[in-house]
Amino acid sequence: MTSALSAEGLHTYYGKSHILHGVSLEVAEGRITALLGRNGAGKTTTLRSLMGLTQAREGKITIFGEDTTRWPTFRIAAHGVGYVPEGRRIFANLSVEENLKVPLERGGPWTIERIYKLFPRLAERKQNRGRQLSGGEQEMLSIARALLLNPRLLILDEPSQGLAPLIVREVFRIVQQMKAEGISVLLVEQNARMSLEIADDAYVLDDGAVVYSGTARELAADDARVRALAGASAEEWTLT
Amino acid sequence: MMTQLLLFNVTNGLIIGAFYVLMALGLSLILNLSNVINFAHGGFLVIGGYIAYTITPYIGFWGALLLAPPLTAIIGLAVERVLIRPLYGRDPLYSLLLTFGLAFMIEDGTRFIWGPQGKPVTIPAFLAQPLSNDLFFITGYRLFMVVVVMIAVALLFLLLRYTRLGVRIRAGTLDLETVAALGINVGMLRSLNFAVGIFLAGLSGVLAAGQLGLEPTMGTGLLMPSFIAIIVGGIGSLPGTLIGGLLIGVASGVTAVFFPAASEAVIYVMMAVILLTRPRGLFGEEGMMS
Ligand SMILES: Nc1ncnc2c1ncn2[C@@H]1O[C@H](COP(=O)(O)OP(=O)(O)OP(=O)(O)O)[C@@H](O)[C@H]1O
Ligand SMILES: [Mg+2]
Repeated sequence: MTSALSAEGLHTYYGKSHILHGVSLEVAEGRITALLGRNGAGKTTTLRSLMGLTQAREGKITIFGEDTTRWPTFRIAAHGVGYVPEGRRIFANLSVEENLKVPLERGGPWTIERIYKLFPRLAERKQNRGRQLSGGEQEMLSIARALLLNPRLLILDEPSQGLAPLIVREVFRIVQQMKAEGISVLLVEQNARMSLEIADDAYVLDDGAVVYSGTARELAADDARVRALAGASAEEWTLT
Repeated sequence: MMTQLLLFNVTNGLIIGAFYVLMALGLSLILNLSNVINFAHGGFLVIGGYIAYTITPYIGFWGALLLAPPLTAIIGLAVERVLIRPLYGRDPLYSLLLTFGLAFMIEDGTRFIWGPQGKPVTIPAFLAQPLSNDLFFITGYRLFMVVVVMIAVALLFLLLRYTRLGVRIRAGTLDLETVAALGINVGMLRSLNFAVGIFLAGLSGVLAAGQLGLEPTMGTGLLMPSFIAIIVGGIGSLPGTLIGGLLIGVASGVTAVFFPAASEAVIYVMMAVILLTRPRGLFGEEGMMS
């Protein structure tokens, strides 16, 4: 199995605080890999390191065969990595249409017209400012924006955050659809049960270190671990 | 007689306001995207003017009008690459001090190359004519300047609204990190944006040279009012900058009629009054170029 992304022994700091203590993980090509963990475990920091937004001080990152460890963020993205950041980070004062014009045009199947077909809500609201959208619409816009880069690898940071169950289901369905399109996916989630349903592989992060890696199926079967992950929250609703 | 005097000064105010607008829009672009307060902006105006002066004998006024602003922008690009780029991400104080020093260097540099005396730039004869006897103070050139400024401003706003470059610049003023994560080379984006700002300064320089003649210090006088135009209009809002520039131009023009000594001070008074009533400036709340 070839890997879309592999990270080895990442150590990342914010100033003096040492956050990641040697994180290693791999995203297999054409599969969905879930990265789970409680609040503050270091999931976002891991993704920021992979994207070059907060460069790891130690370790090595390989994406589609290239050593991207010291690459600037824009170059990693231009290499085919779509990033849906935590909190969506849409451009609030720009219209939906303008938000969609920001990403680099790498060429590929995704065009603004096709995005509007996949997300009819965005087409209806294309003249609206980003800040006028609902949370779910903002999430769709953030995903749409990353897709317009025509990524080979899509990295999502808690896309279900703050969304109603029905909308979460829609978001997860889109993630599955991306997999069907041949895009490799790295999915960070708090919502353990639901992400394990769509994921192939899984990692669990705690205190800046990987404490579990294996198939999503095995992890899902480990009831105690999953319950601990969810922090005993009421995430009982499922995908189907 | 009184109305004519008033009209004269309002016209004057609008024309000087048009310069403030051109300068302030460039300053705003650079400030919004790069957090650089470019004290050398007046210096680039001077460079634009002297370039026009130097090339006019060869390619005429029209050629200079067309060529001097992009040449100034190229010089700006080089300055950004070499001097300003290393300071991004540091405290804005660094770039402020750097450009402050740069302003002096440009002033002395122009004095060294072209001498301390003022230089005239010849404008086409038909533009030098007044429009009519009653409106003797409105020469064709003054009208022409205002039209050029209007076209430049309109093109700038079209660029920002309808081109990908413009949309990315606006996105970058909101969240540069996310723009980078979408595959955009933000270093390049900042350079291009800087160049657009300096282009506008160069254009102001050519236009000003035709009206006032050239002096190494001519940029300095326009700089402070341009900053004030930005603050009055509301930092982050380009339409605000546009209105702010015209407003303070006309205000100082009108004050010149009734109380000439205060025509400069009135700009600062206006700023104080506006900041007291609307701390974010006239368009500040709407924010970022909206
Ligand atoms: N900019 C920052 N400066 C300093 N410390 C930070 C910064 N961002 C995060 N941290 C710290 O790093 C640790 C990991 O944070 P991170 O955001 O990666 O966690 P997370 O797993 O994404 O959590 P969540 O599920 O809440 O999003 C936390 O202890 C957090 O307090
Ligand atoms: Mg997080």
